[in-house]
Amino acid sequence: MYPFASLPDNLIAFCDVLRREHGFRIGAGESHDAARALEVVPVASETAVRDALRPILSRTRHETTVFDRVFTEFFFPGPEDQEQIGIPPIRRELESETAEDEQPSESKRPGAGGADEEAGPDAQGEVSPSRMTPAPETAAARLARISYSPLRTEHVDAGPELTPVDAAWREAARALVHRLHLGLSRRWRPAMRGRRFDLRRTLRASLQTGGEPLVARWRSRPRRTPRLVLLIDGSRSMEMYSAAGLQMAVAIASVTLHVDVFTFSTSLRRVTDDVRRAAAGARLRLARMEYSWGGGTNIGASLHEFLHRFGQRGGATRNTVIVVVSDGLDVGDPTLLRDAMQTIARRSAAVVWLNPLLETPGYEPTVAGMRAALPFITTFASVRDHADFARLSQMIRVRG
Amino acid sequence: MIDAATIQTRFRERGFIVDESFATALQIMLALEKPLLVEGPAGVGKTESAKVLADALDTRLIRLQCYEGLDAMAALYEWNYPRQMLYARLSETDRSSTEEREAHLFSEAFLLRRPLLEAITQDRSPVLLIDEVDRADEAFEAFLLEVLAEWQVTIPELGTLRARHKPYVIVTSNRTRELSDALRRRCLYLWLAYPTVAQEIEILRARVPGLSDRLAQQIASMMQVLRGLALQKAPGVAESLDWAMALMSLHRDHLDAQALEQTLGCVLKVHEDRAIIDVHRADLDQTLNGAPVPSQPGGYSLDTDFGIGTVSTRRR
Repeated sequence: MYPFASLPDNLIAFCDVLRREHGFRIGAGESHDAARALEVVPVASETAVRDALRPILSRTRHETTVFDRVFTEFFFPGPEDQEQIGIPPIRRELESETAEDEQPSESKRPGAGGADEEAGPDAQGEVSPSRMTPAPETAAARLARISYSPLRTEHVDAGPELTPVDAAWREAARALVHRLHLGLSRRWRPAMRGRRFDLRRTLRASLQTGGEPLVARWRSRPRRTPRLVLLIDGSRSMEMYSAAGLQMAVAIASVTLHVDVFTFSTSLRRVTDDVRRAAAGARLRLARMEYSWGGGTNIGASLHEFLHRFGQRGGATRNTVIVVVSDGLDVGDPTLLRDAMQTIARRSAAVVWLNPLLETPGYEPTVAGMRAALPFITTFASVRDHADFARLSQMIRVRG
Repeated sequence: MIDAATIQTRFRERGFIVDESFATALQIMLALEKPLLVEGPAGVGKTESAKVLADALDTRLIRLQCYEGLDAMAALYEWNYPRQMLYARLSETDRSSTEEREAHLFSEAFLLRRPLLEAITQDRSPVLLIDEVDRADEAFEAFLLEVLAEWQVTIPELGTLRARHKPYVIVTSNRTRELSDALRRRCLYLWLAYPTVAQEIEILRARVPGLSDRLAQQIASMMQVLRGLALQKAPGVAESLDWAMALMSLHRDHLDAQALEQTLGCVLKVHEDRAIIDVHRADLDQTLNGAPVPSQPGGYSLDTDFGIGTVSTRRR
């Protein structure tokens, strides 16, 4: 019934399914711990094994529920011809490093294996031990797959130009960066002037004056400055507007290094380096942006991709101010966007949404995407020129 | 080695009901010597479980309560500077040499042990409770990782202290912020949900002796319904224990509309929640009259925005 005869082999195969099909982060250490755990619990009892493996292999509450279902399906599978219920994968499976950046359409396919090409989205996350080793894909099939994108427009525009910004933009960016701070750090740091006496350093300093503490040392609480993350919508509906977003990014990058810039449409792309080069005075076009420039927008999926690829590695923390530049016209599922925004709100100091449509008289944020995102936004505004941008710094409020 | 069943009985003897998965998680934690990260809504007994574990293992409980601004020194050790200064002054007239005086000045007598240092200098493995780690900042979390991995602390004046007996570590979090993946990787993970009706009855019986069966059943079902409502502050196990005590002291043997009105303050801690209760009055009355409760263990989900704030819209 099980794919392998021995328990360790089954355990490794099980870890593999969790890792590959459901995005669990399981390393050799966890597998080893799992094997050790099975030495101390009665392996004949299903619940004992389940309860022992769950704390080791899952890391979040969501993962614990996924774990329970996969455990049942792996060790107690139903009849072979019966279709199994798909479990949504937690993280989208990312392909190799080269594919990750250049072919975003591919990273949108969870569990992308040659076998389920035509099975469509319903087959995503389907678990069955027999599928653990996907059939090797031929080079031609792979090429055909990665160069096809259902959402790609026929005529591909060249990417927008990044230009160095003028003094007015830079001044506005400087004001923004200066104004944005997260209050004082709770930590006390040694400082020339401070509000708290530093006994330890005073005592140390007294060694130079023969044990007499003549020079007082102080501690103070430094200011916490946030990181800025800009997520700029590059879809066709945003064409008129995204230039201002990029100008803003270049302006901010020219005054601080604490900034990360991404563009997205059907998937996400990091353009921080290009923006920094533009800020340093280079004139360049965003190279080969066709995949994320000029197509429909899947905001929810793109934000999820941001969270999974960068957010968990420190891209989004409580010191981050996230700025989304988008009109909220989302072709994806609003619940996906809602989930992503909820997580982003939880992992950031403030969420700023810049929506160009806000300029239109009588505009109400009623499209499904915007409605889903609205509860998690701290500042909702629009930026068209440097004057708007200069005003923005007055409006952003952060959680201290 | 303690197995899960023993843990369950020992916890029960101490009035703490653990289900099988929690007991197994504790067993694995003891066997693998890895920290156990316990997450769950407030009031399900995360902190209490560590206290009971220490008692069950007959060892010390050392508690590190995290708060914003907690730094390494406050968690590890500090020198008692005022005492040191005083000693330096008083010993000026001694005939002892400078070296001797300095050695004494930086001896353990002047060392203030904070919880983490305390935990690694015990003669037998203590239970170290790192409570509400989500309240400390990320920098502290990183520092904590280092200590949890190495179990040694270097004090420049004294040298490196290494744990002779690794503490058993329970880390709790209320999910007010996302914990780093690195911390999660170091720990075993357990989600502690609200108890089911049956479990809650068992808890009430164990903790409130003399409670009538009917009352226990009613309280447990009411709690289940209340936790299903979108209350601002959902009642935890502590609240149901308080409630049981309150009803006992009012000499009630069952719960009716009047008793509910009198004692609702034990359960609801936010004024706005009263309005929600009034809307769902009919459901509550049905439950009071013994209607079956839709059984969804932990039906309450932690989908709040954690008070992130209101939306401001700019208009020209």
